[in-house]
Amino acid sequence: MKRDAGLSRRLRRVRRRVALRSTLLQAVWNYDSLQAVGFAWAILPGLERIRPDPEERAQRVHAHLESFNANPYMASLAMGVTLRMEEEIARGAAGAERRLARLLRALRGSLGAIGDDLFWTAWRPALGLAAAVAAMATASVWPAIVYLLAWNGLAQGVRVAGVRAGFAAGAGVARVLQDPFWAGASRAASLAGSFAAGVGLGAGGAWAVVGGGEWGGGAIFFVTVALLWLAGTRVGPRGRLMSPALAFLAVVILLGAIHHLSKGAWP
Amino acid sequence: MTVAEAGLLIALGAVVFLDQWPAVQAMVSRPVVVGPIVGWILNAPGDGVLWGAVIETMQLAVQPVGAARYPDAALAGLLGTTAAMTGIQGAAYPAGWAVAVAVTAGWGGDAVGRMQRRWNGGTAAAVRSRVAQGSLGAPGRGIAVALSRGATLGAAQTAVGLAIVLAGGRLLAGTPWAGPLDADGVRIAAAAMAAVGGARVLGFGRRRAAALVLGTLAGVALVTWGGAA
Repeated sequence: MKRDAGLSRRLRRVRRRVALRSTLLQAVWNYDSLQAVGFAWAILPGLERIRPDPEERAQRVHAHLESFNANPYMASLAMGVTLRMEEEIARGAAGAERRLARLLRALRGSLGAIGDDLFWTAWRPALGLAAAVAAMATASVWPAIVYLLAWNGLAQGVRVAGVRAGFAAGAGVARVLQDPFWAGASRAASLAGSFAAGVGLGAGGAWAVVGGGEWGGGAIFFVTVALLWLAGTRVGPRGRLMSPALAFLAVVILLGAIHHLSKGAWP
Repeated sequence: MTVAEAGLLIALGAVVFLDQWPAVQAMVSRPVVVGPIVGWILNAPGDGVLWGAVIETMQLAVQPVGAARYPDAALAGLLGTTAAMTGIQGAAYPAGWAVAVAVTAGWGGDAVGRMQRRWNGGTAAAVRSRVAQGSLGAPGRGIAVALSRGATLGAAQTAVGLAIVLAGGRLLAGTPWAGPLDADGVRIAAAAMAAVGGARVLGFGRRRAAALVLGTLAGVALVTWGGAA
């Protein structure tokens, strides 16, 4: 395949093994070396091809046990870059070891920022919202199944493609990070999530009116929304008035009291 | 709850502990997925789907950015759904109790997760010193140790949580202190949480505000004409 032209023949075969091992990147996450043990273990099949001598290999693995941290799905990109640079180090390229250390330090920040923005701030809330609202509307397990398929299609896809892209790009990995795909995917997820939040608002209001008891139910719903919004409002330097989970608990208790006092019938 | 059901829930606790951060992160640990699995184990999939969705809306604003501390959504989903399903009286769920369990389980699970990360520090140091002596199998063994410890912690915290959920559920059964609420009330509260949580996390730009308005119209249409009542 043309896209593989940049990959060395020795490493092409281990690409999938590295991607598969990257799923355990955080297995030994700790406050000192962060994801380093998982990172070193994931690139080990590649290092075996580059460094047939076990002693030299152990030295390189030891160097990667210092410290590493990035978004877990994006880290495979750093693994690909590392293997490419390890090849250069093994060939004796001047300054390659120092360049790799510097590059990895820089990548930690970029991969964390891009990955967190895409996966944790945009895709997960958007998909979670859509799945939760769909589950409440349909009472079916399908939203959960679609959620899993959509998430893993993107996340594990990035993992697998990351090793290849990182290896192909090597020190020029900035090119991959500047790809408009990352910002576009975050924007698309934010829009989809906002739409799903709107569906929740509209459906919740309608459920309250239809199932909860005419306009009294609707009023209760919008007071609930207002209370939850107020609880998340920033107050001075101390941040939010109340955590979302505690605010939700307060709202459920309030609704339970109304439900109880009205003897099971909504006002 | 039978012994077999409790055993399956404890095994699920081990799996979701690992999925949450140490392994794969396939999001099997999210409440919206854990809820239906708990529902399937306890023979009421519909209740599991509803409560998984409810607890998912509570956890929307939680983002594991960097090395931030965050509540254990998996344990919250598992125990919260179990509390709602095992304490149901007629048409009313013990909603206040279930949400309180989910909130507390989130905090408790976070404390256990931090303990695991501290223990991992010892494992990582041991791996480093063995690799320095030339052992290339040390990282793999370190990972196996950390995963086994994680699975054990996940199972243990679920077992302790289940005991508390069952005991508390029995004490509160039939009393107004359980915060009894029917499915309509639960759905209304969760829809409000979804709307507020989503808008807060994703923010408001011009396009996002337009998407929110369009979604609101779609939501009203879905319930009024789409048969989602």
